[in-house]
Amino acid sequence: MTAAVVGFAGLTHLGLVSAIATASKGFRVIGYDTDSGRVADIGAGRLPVVEPDLDNLARDNAARLSYTDRSGDLGACDIVYIASDVPTDDRGQSDLTGISALIGEVIPALGPKAVLCILCQVPPGFTRGLPLDSTRLYYQVETLVFGRAVERAMQPERFIVGCADPARPLPGPYLGLLSAFGCPILPMRYESAELAKIAINCCLVASVSVANTLADLSERIGADWHEIAPALRLDRRIGAYGYLSPGLGIAGGNLERDLATVLHLSATTGSEASVIAAFLANSASRRDWVLRLIHSEVLPRKANPTFAILGLAYKENTHSTKNSPSLALIENLHPWRIRVYDPVVPASAARHPMVTGATNAVEAAEGSDAVLIMTPWPQFRSLAPAELAAVMAGRVIVDPFRVLEPAAARAADLSYFTLGASGSAA
Amino acid sequence: MLTHKNQNPQKPARVVIIGAGGFVGGAIAAQLAKEQVPVLGITRKEVDLLQPDAGKTLAAKLRDDDCVVFVSALAPARNTAALLKNLMMAEHVIAALAEKPVAHLVYVSSDAVYEDAANPVTERSICQPSSMHGMMHAARELALRNEVKVPLAILRPSLLYGENDPHNGYGPNRFRRLAEKGEAIALFGEGEEQRDHVYVDDVARLAALAIMHRSTGILNVATGSSISFRGIAELVVALSGRPTEVRGTPRQNPITHRHFDISECLKAFPQFRYTPLREGLARAARTSARTVS
Repeated sequence: MTAAVVGFAGLTHLGLVSAIATASKGFRVIGYDTDSGRVADIGAGRLPVVEPDLDNLARDNAARLSYTDRSGDLGACDIVYIASDVPTDDRGQSDLTGISALIGEVIPALGPKAVLCILCQVPPGFTRGLPLDSTRLYYQVETLVFGRAVERAMQPERFIVGCADPARPLPGPYLGLLSAFGCPILPMRYESAELAKIAINCCLVASVSVANTLADLSERIGADWHEIAPALRLDRRIGAYGYLSPGLGIAGGNLERDLATVLHLSATTGSEASVIAAFLANSASRRDWVLRLIHSEVLPRKANPTFAILGLAYKENTHSTKNSPSLALIENLHPWRIRVYDPVVPASAARHPMVTGATNAVEAAEGSDAVLIMTPWPQFRSLAPAELAAVMAGRVIVDPFRVLEPAAARAADLSYFTLGASGSAA
Repeated sequence: MLTHKNQNPQKPARVVIIGAGGFVGGAIAAQLAKEQVPVLGITRKEVDLLQPDAGKTLAAKLRDDDCVVFVSALAPARNTAALLKNLMMAEHVIAALAEKPVAHLVYVSSDAVYEDAANPVTERSICQPSSMHGMMHAARELALRNEVKVPLAILRPSLLYGENDPHNGYGPNRFRRLAEKGEAIALFGEGEEQRDHVYVDDVARLAALAIMHRSTGILNVATGSSISFRGIAELVVALSGRPTEVRGTPRQNPITHRHFDISECLKAFPQFRYTPLREGLARAARTSARTVS
């Protein structure tokens, strides 16, 4: 059987990564986007997203990848994914107008037997309402993780497939495509699959909320959460890959979206979901951890400090700043000078009246009274605390994600603060 | 949280303080005087808010460009009668502001609007008062929000202390007065309950900031640091220099604590610093000693 031709409509983060990963499995792929400039940039190898290994993978599989701004070109595909990212507002509410318009353009372009598969983040009930024969209409859960998107797309743990009738075999080309990834395939009804996506994220938020709650307590009673978490990871009921690292609240937009969707559905149906509101309250509290620390540990000792901020992205290995704790902090540091550095995000992303951009982390730290490591970029792990201490004016390191070695910071005579441990004694 | 209509502080044409003769109102008036802001202080002598024509009387004193600080209350409101009187006072202030809308309104409420178990308390905590006093403030807040068409800031102070506090309730003020007389301080139980105590001048300084920034929204007034009543008593005794006994008594009620997360204050007024407890108590003691001598 000839390998299926696969289309991806919407070449934002999700669509682009998925298209390139699919091509790497030997399929011919057509990427479609209404934005001609974006299509031209991608075709020329200028990818609009930052992900480890993505550029290399695109280059290596260029022969099987083509990009177009003409929806009619999708008529050659056996399967077309609607793969555009769905934007959210400040309250986590999805704006579905973009993908609805995209679907409206794609359906008329489909070949007579082609399958349409919704890959983007939609609320339960969305897929069933689409105007296409249900034997050709599927929903597939995406589990894109910013900063690990290629790895996740190449080696998915499983495919969760929403169908009109889970008992009916999947169409041959679609089954062939999914089988190429060598992981379990779980067909279920549309609504189950749509909710499964949300359930995954709710479980992740639950884990990280537990970690945040007990890390906070650890800070107050002399415990160290980083000693506790490894013990939990060895418990099979919790798992080695559990989200047990404390953080600065939920960010990135996708988790917030799913929590907002559950709250909305709960309000509509009357289901009990108070735990979701508790997750959000916990997130809001942890987001301001660095701000509180600055006010308790830095400002009482230095009236007019300069802060070095390392990292602007909402997490490592991404250019995204959606709900970034770093940018949220910067909004509240207006009275003081800041020096910023992020390996990917430009200093102009920091809305601040007295901001100076630096070309590397050590340069940002020069003359600062406190260094705040707000994004755990891998390259920050190689920073030597002694090197920072040598260029700083003050002695405070705030390292929420513990990218530096606490003992090395202590040895460099720095006051070191991290999530999950009390005071500067970590 | 607060949002500022004036990003840079700006003195209003005049501030009218309803309840200027009280503990908090007096402190706000003094703070504004220090900052050379014109103030019209209104006490019960000028306008008795329980009188039927109080709304008209008050309206006649207001100007369009005034900032009004509403701090007057019959406190603590312990029963239904006191609740109703306090609501009547609010009704008359609302009537005055309907007749003469002003530029800005600051209402001084209380952290008693929150549920007892709301730890740590933030401005997002649910309002679920367990006392008539808390319900009174919650009802007044709601009425002001719904019925007054003026930009509104609500301040919710925690427990206050200061030399001029007319009340002699359990806490820093009573402990200080007992210590000054060398009389024993009796704790409830062993004084384990932790509370966040705010020096009254800090409320005044925050009110002045909210006025200058023409802020709207809600802000808790708390230091973010709670201490047990025994801790307070021992601190007061140490500051007094007298060998005052601090003793426990059989506990009548379960132990409850209250802590605040003051992140919203750090965001609203990044350069504001609360008076540390030891310093505030020492200042209150010094002022009190000067008054006595």
